[in-house]
Amino acid sequence: MKTLAIRRLSKTYFDPYAGAHVPATLDVSLDVQQGEFVSIVGPSGCGKTTLLNMIAGFIPPSAGEIVLDGRRVKGPGPDRGVVFQSFALFPWKTVLENVTFGLKMRGVRREERERVGREYVALVGLSGAEGRYPAELSGGMQQRVGVARALANNPDVLLMDEPFASVDAQTRMTLQEELTRIWQARRPTILFVTHDVEEAVFLANRVVVLSRAPGHVVAELSIPLPRPRAWATLVEDSAFKELVAQVLGLVRPT
Amino acid sequence: MGFEKGLIARWRRLLGVPIRWAIRWTAVYPAVRAFAPFVPIIALWALVAASGLFPPVFFPGPWEVLRAFGTLTYKGILPAYFEDSLVRLVAGVAAGVVLGIPLGVLVGLSRRAHAVCWPVLLFFQAIGDIAWLPLLLIWFGFGLTTMTFVIVYTVLFPIVLNTVLGVRSVPLELTRAAQSLGASRARIVAEVVIPGALPNIVTGLRNGLGYGWRALIAAEMIVGTSGIGFLMFDARRAGQVTEILLGMIVLGLLWYVVDGWLLAPLEDATVRRWGLVAT
Repeated sequence: MKTLAIRRLSKTYFDPYAGAHVPATLDVSLDVQQGEFVSIVGPSGCGKTTLLNMIAGFIPPSAGEIVLDGRRVKGPGPDRGVVFQSFALFPWKTVLENVTFGLKMRGVRREERERVGREYVALVGLSGAEGRYPAELSGGMQQRVGVARALANNPDVLLMDEPFASVDAQTRMTLQEELTRIWQARRPTILFVTHDVEEAVFLANRVVVLSRAPGHVVAELSIPLPRPRAWATLVEDSAFKELVAQVLGLVRPT
Repeated sequence: MGFEKGLIARWRRLLGVPIRWAIRWTAVYPAVRAFAPFVPIIALWALVAASGLFPPVFFPGPWEVLRAFGTLTYKGILPAYFEDSLVRLVAGVAAGVVLGIPLGVLVGLSRRAHAVCWPVLLFFQAIGDIAWLPLLLIWFGFGLTTMTFVIVYTVLFPIVLNTVLGVRSVPLELTRAAQSLGASRARIVAEVVIPGALPNIVTGLRNGLGYGWRALIAAEMIVGTSGIGFLMFDARRAGQVTEILLGMIVLGLLWYVVDGWLLAPLEDATVRRWGLVAT
């Protein structure tokens, strides 16, 4: 079992205006088991993205450690795939070249990586668009490429930073359903950051609630809703509504 | 239309593969469209020349210039000088690209290299190419070294400075994405930084070519023993206004050719295709 263990993680920024060190996250501890789908929710500015950036290795923590599969995280690496809010696709690469980028970096032969790439392009429902450039795709399609690109590299954990925040509401619901379908089919370990409580509950097996800044874990809830999940049914589901209300109460304490 | 087609076909046979490729890019209609705005200018020029307002020696009309084009081409002077200038320009630009892009990438990526090089680059950029000429003439005399120095110097700065800007404008998330997909530093430079900087590199190339061409003509006027700049300055000595005008027109035309057959297709195939610049 490849577990992701986050131990007492803190990040402090120097704020030149305040002239002081300001904590962004404080003492966050969290364990993610292999094959789990965990959502992290919290009010805006609570350090969710900072937390994810530390796990991805983009920024170093001020204190604490991140251990993945027994190894301490020191920087970015292909064992942690990232899906960005801004998609971050390579504009000069076609859909297929984007999806197979990680495989290319690992030195996988061209035919092999194109075979794998096509499989993942199909998985996210983009068959036929392999040769197109990102600028020719809609936002929703671009993020499908983003998901396929991260998954095709077969990471131990998939880190998703508000990946559906910049697409329209209908597309977002479709993408959320697609993601639960993909998760069920492939069982990747997913850590999903969002400020959208409904999204967090809809997707995950477990929701972690962060407090207002400096963010720390205030609660963890397991989401026992059955799968496959679809908005058409869940939107009327009392268990779903109750869980959403519960998480919302934790995110926005009165 | 039929006449045009016949003409194009003749040029194709005459000039071979690279030009054929270029003609395909420009196509027939853009060339016509580009020429149209010049019709009134030429008409006005012809009118003023024909009015007899100025002595024809000082103000020759379009026909005289066209005739001079024919004569000088026939004598082989114009093609030879044109080739000299063009070879110098190409050599200068090639040197500028080979030196400038790697230097720009280095300065753009490394904070330390940036701290050291950036002020120096700005300083030397401010000293115009021509301002070096007095010193260069003392050091190297009236020769190829001086000319090469001036053109490489002129081409280098726009390329370096724009490459630095381009490298620094590559979104952080793209680099991060590449890192988290397992790309090494060298691969990130090749796969992310350079393509990401390409819109600015093309701008640098365009500016470098433009400044370089101008500097070359100026250098040829002062240093030269051949070239379009020399042709114009030599014509001044002989009072040949027609040849001066011809030289000026050649300069303008060459720029149109470089832009339309080289830079624009390059942009269309890369940054425009990728949606990095507005179409």
